[in-house]
Amino acid sequence: MLSPVNVSLESLNLVTLAPMLIAVVGALSILVIDFFKSNLDKTLYVMVSLLFLLLDLGAVIDSAGFFMENGTMLGFFDVMLIDGLAILSQIIIVGASMLFIPLALTSKRFHEFSYPEFFALFLFMIAGFQFMVASDSLILIFIGLETASLALYTLIALHNRSKSFEAAVKYFTMGALAAGFYAMGSMIFYAITGSVEINQIAAVLQADNYSNIGYVLIAVVFMLASFGFKLSLVPFHTWTPDVYEGSSAALAGYMSIVPKIAGFIVVMRLFEFLIHSGVIWLEVVLYASVVITMTAANIWALVQSDVKRMLAYSSISHAGFVMAAILIGTTQSNSALFLYWIVFAFTNLGAFTMLWVSRAKNLPAGQSSDHSFEKFSGMIHTAPMTATVMGLFMLSLAGLPPFGVFWGKIYMIGSAVSAGYTVLALIMALNSAIAGYYYIKLIVYMFMKDPVNPGDYMINASNSLKTIIGVAVIFTIFSIVAINPLLEVITAFVYNSGY
Amino acid sequence: MLEHILSILIFFPALAGALGFIVNKNSMRAYGVTVGAIEFALSLWLWFSYDSGVSGMQFMESVSIIPAFGITYLLGIDGISLFIIIMASFFTMIGIASLSPTKNEKNLIITLLFLQMTMIGVFAALDAIIFYVFWELSLVPMLYIIGAWGGPKRIYASVKFFLYTFTGSLVMLVGMLFMAYFYHQATGQWSFSILEWYRLILPETYQLWLFVAFFFGFAIKVPMFPFHTWLPYAHGQAPTIGSVILAAVLLKMGTYAFIRFSLPLFPDASVFFMIPIAVISIIMIIYTAMVAYAQEDIKQVVAYSSVSHMGVIVLGTFALNVEGITGSVFLMIAHGIVSGALFLLVGVIYDRRHTKLMSEFGGLAKVMPNYAIIFGMMMMASVGMPLTINFVGEFLSLLGFYQQSHMLTLLAGTAIIVGAIYMLAAYKKAFFGEITNEANRNLPDVNKRELGALIPLVIIMVWLGVYPKPVLEPINNSVESIVQLMHDKAITPAAKAAIPDVSKPKPVIQRAPAHAAAKHTSAHEGGH
Repeated sequence: MLSPVNVSLESLNLVTLAPMLIAVVGALSILVIDFFKSNLDKTLYVMVSLLFLLLDLGAVIDSAGFFMENGTMLGFFDVMLIDGLAILSQIIIVGASMLFIPLALTSKRFHEFSYPEFFALFLFMIAGFQFMVASDSLILIFIGLETASLALYTLIALHNRSKSFEAAVKYFTMGALAAGFYAMGSMIFYAITGSVEINQIAAVLQADNYSNIGYVLIAVVFMLASFGFKLSLVPFHTWTPDVYEGSSAALAGYMSIVPKIAGFIVVMRLFEFLIHSGVIWLEVVLYASVVITMTAANIWALVQSDVKRMLAYSSISHAGFVMAAILIGTTQSNSALFLYWIVFAFTNLGAFTMLWVSRAKNLPAGQSSDHSFEKFSGMIHTAPMTATVMGLFMLSLAGLPPFGVFWGKIYMIGSAVSAGYTVLALIMALNSAIAGYYYIKLIVYMFMKDPVNPGDYMINASNSLKTIIGVAVIFTIFSIVAINPLLEVITAFVYNSGY
Repeated sequence: MLEHILSILIFFPALAGALGFIVNKNSMRAYGVTVGAIEFALSLWLWFSYDSGVSGMQFMESVSIIPAFGITYLLGIDGISLFIIIMASFFTMIGIASLSPTKNEKNLIITLLFLQMTMIGVFAALDAIIFYVFWELSLVPMLYIIGAWGGPKRIYASVKFFLYTFTGSLVMLVGMLFMAYFYHQATGQWSFSILEWYRLILPETYQLWLFVAFFFGFAIKVPMFPFHTWLPYAHGQAPTIGSVILAAVLLKMGTYAFIRFSLPLFPDASVFFMIPIAVISIIMIIYTAMVAYAQEDIKQVVAYSSVSHMGVIVLGTFALNVEGITGSVFLMIAHGIVSGALFLLVGVIYDRRHTKLMSEFGGLAKVMPNYAIIFGMMMMASVGMPLTINFVGEFLSLLGFYQQSHMLTLLAGTAIIVGAIYMLAAYKKAFFGEITNEANRNLPDVNKRELGALIPLVIIMVWLGVYPKPVLEPINNSVESIVQLMHDKAITPAAKAAIPDVSKPKPVIQRAPAHAAAKHTSAHEGGH
């Protein structure tokens, strides 16, 4: 089979690489700027990153245009795969990053943002996630995953708190374990099929009718454990609350959105054929993990005394909810995953940003957590606008109509109903009810208790943070008009990618 | 303007509420009353323009919002929802007008205006998702009202209220999604429009399951036994205005939804569950009446009596014939007026004494004669005295159910009469006898502000009790079309038999000629 490598530049189809390359070039140019003139202000880096992200987004939208005309594109020795899933998830990744990066412009000084390396690493991380979602090859996915994860560990550690180091090390250790599992899983797939491309693996397995079922199951267990860590599915979730607590609220919000959508895409590619293979065991394992993740995380969230940890558990629960889409595996459910994640991204980033604006530089004396529930007591009397906005995000996360997450929820439950998963649909609905309790708990503190510390909540706010909150609020309230266009585009992309 | 009147009715209070943030807090009450009055005038205009001869939906509006999933902003009213909407705007108006001075009055009034949006939205929506949006949204202002202005255990009460209803409605949401899915299977189109769903005839097993799913949402809201435990807490802790709105309007959402969703969508299931639900209703009537008798707190007495009467409404609804459903819709209005007024009256004495315990009162009739008279009239209405508004509704409800089961109706009727005991006992304890508590000796009688709220209620109570026709006729027309729809849709023979065919004239029962005819036949046969 070996023949001399002789490829023309056109057959590489470099346009498929363009978005990631823009991010990488952005990262490098930040380093170059720093090389020529150091001690520049963070505003410069933020704006440069924003500009490159904008270019990145442009390139992704450009490839969306190609996709609508010509369908799925392969490129770069056929390891790049630009289909609807890749495009949609890249839009979510880059879009959420664009909402995140202005959060560096706080009014208080947090030292991590004064390093240009922070922004360079950030852009490398985005490139990593983009590679991860835009490939069919287990090796390239691995490279993307590790690039992104290593950058992310560093970003967490840069936040100068003792808990940040703990968080980074914890995340790193768990991530290393997950990487190991991933490598083992891929190895077994390669051993039984002779390929690292997911569609090839699927084809080979189907051709010999899953004769190596034992090995397939072992590989799946490894893969599920690996992505269980990345997506923080129960029982691989234990790192999540600690890591969220240790990182800055803004980064925690970011981590609840972007790494997870990248993970979902890979899981979707991998499990698309496994779920439809008719192996009951697979479905049972996935079913159990979905239900346990949703329910257990919800119950843990009930007993948290810190808002950030509560939101950490709630985001685990949301991830479990969305994993149901992969279990259901229809076009409707896969579209629901994207819709859910877009509306969730706005609301959840908004909620974490609300924590970020109220973040004091140092921990209050005698307290071990930055965002205890007590801190928010009686906010309606001291800061009515802030309390209302925070309440809005909580109601949206609880799935109260007509706010953002509700539409994701009904479309997701609707897809479960259409696919005949009646019990799952009921479990999903009841979990939303349980979740209602802890979101309401914050509202109870804000609206019904008397203020304990008449402090300023918006201490960390700046115009750029307020703008981001404003965007999130507007999207959360008026999402009802955005749902139809979103749904049409998403369904078209997902359907044309064959999922 | 008239073609968008429902949208205006829904969003005017919300817009006014949003603008209310700017109004100075000293002028807020006047602003609230003005907005309430405009809204009430608009709702009266709605009634004036309503064609009571037409049985179907009127003032319909339709804007497709999410065509990809079949969600449409679809509004419309018929005789069933018309009067509940008028009542909702009426109670918001007098609720704000009669508000006793309280902390954070401005926030309370803004919350009430948002609550009004959701209430009218629920009764005007004809798309299940839009209905659900308003249904769920109504929980938030109520949560805030109970939780921020309530009694000592207000947080427990408000969270319990929220979680109970939220859980029930999520189960209902799954039911709605199934309904849309079945519609999709049948027609290839997604739709959440109730009017479209009416055309769908489902197999009986599906109907049973969906009926149960919807039942959870509605029964918790009503609240039906054994899901009623949140209500006494909510009433016990809520401020007066919260209780008034809760009893007068929010509870009606549940019974209204039974008529709008459960009956026409699942006629066979409705017949299947008729007797079990009737039994639950009778338990509700008797059991809560007994609990009410044991209460020390006068507000709890009114709260439990309110649950008890909701039982009669459900019973009338599940009579599944024109008399019963018309009666139950009328009783919804009556119950709203009477229990709303009773909660206002309890609020009057609470403002003066800051206690609701009956043992603290006694002999109030001597110091507050006007108060005692109004309370007495409302109490008479509550026990269903003829020529009061409740009597019409209760009589029709029971008349309707009599055609389904004589025994159960007899039981319910007796229970209502027995129910008079606890009201009279409570009245005796609070109003008659010697003044035992010195604190009661110098209580001022009802003031102008309170009279302004109470007198209109008394007038309506007597007027509709004596001459209910202007309200009954539109209700009757719309109910007839629903019953006809149910009869046409029913597939099992039992359901066909239980739900009358309105289009055919009723057979006149003449026993004697039938007997004679039988004799004649036998004689005829004998002759051969």
